[in-house]
Amino acid sequence: MENVLSILFCLSLFYVSVTSRVKAYVTVLRVQGVILSVLLILPFVYHFSIFGIILPATLLIVKVYLIPRYINKVILDLDIKRRIEPTIQQMVFLPIVIASMIIIFFAANMLSGFTELDVIPFASGFSAIVVGIYIIMFRKKLIVHVCGFLILENGIFLFGTAVASELPMMIELGTLLDIFVVVFIMGIALNRISSTFEGFEVSHLGRLKD
Amino acid sequence: MFGLFIFILLPILIAGFCYFVKDLRIQFSVSLLIAILHLSLAFSVFLGLYHIQLPTFFSLDSLSKLFILILSNVYFWVVLVSYSYLKKPLMRKAEEGKKYYFALINFYLAANSAAMLSNHFGMFWVASEATTLSVAPLIYFYRNEESLEAMWKYLFLVSIGIAFAFIGILLLTLSAKGTSLEGEQLFFWQFIRKAKELNPVWLKASFIFIFVGLSTKIGIAPMHSGDIDATSNAPSPIAALMSGSLRLTALVGVMRIFQIIQPTSSFEFAKMLLIIGALLSLFVAFVFMFKVNNFKRMLAYSSVEHLGLITLGLGIGGLAFVGAIYHAIYNSMAKIILFLMAGNIHNHYETREVDKVRSVLNTIPKTGWLFLIGYFAISGIPPFGIFFSEIKIFEGVLFSEKPYLLLFVMFFLLFIFINIGKNIFAMLYKKGNSDSHLTRYEKFDMTHFVAIVLLVILTVLSISSPEILYKNIINITKDFGVIL
Repeated sequence: MENVLSILFCLSLFYVSVTSRVKAYVTVLRVQGVILSVLLILPFVYHFSIFGIILPATLLIVKVYLIPRYINKVILDLDIKRRIEPTIQQMVFLPIVIASMIIIFFAANMLSGFTELDVIPFASGFSAIVVGIYIIMFRKKLIVHVCGFLILENGIFLFGTAVASELPMMIELGTLLDIFVVVFIMGIALNRISSTFEGFEVSHLGRLKD
Repeated sequence: MFGLFIFILLPILIAGFCYFVKDLRIQFSVSLLIAILHLSLAFSVFLGLYHIQLPTFFSLDSLSKLFILILSNVYFWVVLVSYSYLKKPLMRKAEEGKKYYFALINFYLAANSAAMLSNHFGMFWVASEATTLSVAPLIYFYRNEESLEAMWKYLFLVSIGIAFAFIGILLLTLSAKGTSLEGEQLFFWQFIRKAKELNPVWLKASFIFIFVGLSTKIGIAPMHSGDIDATSNAPSPIAALMSGSLRLTALVGVMRIFQIIQPTSSFEFAKMLLIIGALLSLFVAFVFMFKVNNFKRMLAYSSVEHLGLITLGLGIGGLAFVGAIYHAIYNSMAKIILFLMAGNIHNHYETREVDKVRSVLNTIPKTGWLFLIGYFAISGIPPFGIFFSEIKIFEGVLFSEKPYLLLFVMFFLLFIFINIGKNIFAMLYKKGNSDSHLTRYEKFDMTHFVAIVLLVILTVLSISSPEILYKNIINITKDFGVIL
């Protein structure tokens, strides 16, 4: 089941590589949030405990409801145009993503030879980290950069479930809170940037140089 | 619980209090009270006069005892000058920023204390991300385009850096697979005790991710750019806070993983990585000092240089390690002096450009002289502490397996010294075109008082070299398995 969900997660990465609409990014964030929540609930299906539900429930609220809603609000408030303004075309971007994923999956398969790990969630998580970085590198709009950052964070989360991390719940909740606040502050900053620079693109941020 | 309350919970409560109480004077008084309490507790814990019990996820060892004292010390002086700083005429532009200033620095204190005291990688991560969140709005204090851009870049770069550090932490868990640590919590001490069992490949990968990720916060090249923009555009007390304590908080994270890796076969690899990062930082500072024309940016590059020196000391080991710890203490104090004086110059001339600041010694002589002495202190001129710590680092490098590195280090430092000196002397002595209308009487204010006290502390500390400090540093070297 983990593998199926991880593959769904990878498909969401392909979608994000070809879409040219900002809203689609937000939808993908929602889908990824649902996938991660289901992944976290899975161990509790057979032996249910209220305590174990807290983390997936919080994740669902933060990653599927609060953050996407907030980003949508920023998009509406600032009247950001629908297109993502890439620096390279999707038809170039997609092969780069696919090639990177192939390399990651092969590498993960090789690494699993000497350490026991779940290859598919591990590689999917790592792919999301890489795709997140690509999105930040090859897109002009700052709001898309925020989405790229969140995809990277989702990747880390999936990666974390793959390596069966032993982080206590309190700390997991702390990380979720931190990420939410980061996005919140980024949203406020974007608001200010749009009124100060009259634009939302990275090209506006070039004043600080040596 | 008392320790946790004073170090972390009380600053959070006061942050909330400052958010709701709008009177700046009350905010300042309460924050100063907390700073004094924090400093007294950190000091008595350091001297061994008081033993505190901390709950799970937090503990005190020699390293955290010293570093929390550094944090407390820097924070205290910064709070002390904050009120008079916020009342300066130029600050009218930043009315909105002032409202949240004290709330945010209290939150900053809580987050940094939590990161320094944490004994669990997860807790460290959460706390150090919180430090970024507390400092980012402070960078945007002036509410202008530059500060907005600096805040955005800092927030974004450091968040990604911290995300990388998180990958590093996950890889550390992976390195424990199949060992007796599997399924255990990520407590530092457990990993340090059983480090030899860890899988070396994953451990190396973990070190790379944690070091590179936290470099964005420490300001180690090539990940230093966000940090430079932030430090140079933040208000001077915040820049002092960042250079003096925030960078060290991130360094603690790197030191923890370095401590884990120390007894393993990957140790040499980690040392090499630290040395490469350090040399790159010195190189970057060396190159940019030739072209930098903004004196606050110049000081930010100086921070890159000094954190580079500290990292070099840690990487080389032996006597250089001891020097690096001393250097962290002295650098934190010298940076407060320099940034506060730079802030005074910025307020007076209303520019940060070296070319537009002329004959400071005539127009604002107190600031000018203290800036000059601060420059001597940071450049390692005796009797200030940095001279002694740098000598230790150099000696350590000279007697290490890589003595040739000293040649590069000395070369970089010489040119950095010359270039900073050139800029500072131009600012202080060179006659400008319109000096006359700038000339006015300079009042002796809190920043001057703080600078003088810190210069005295820097001198006394280095000449007297207190036994308790030396012992603590020797304990740190023992914890790190450093052979002297």
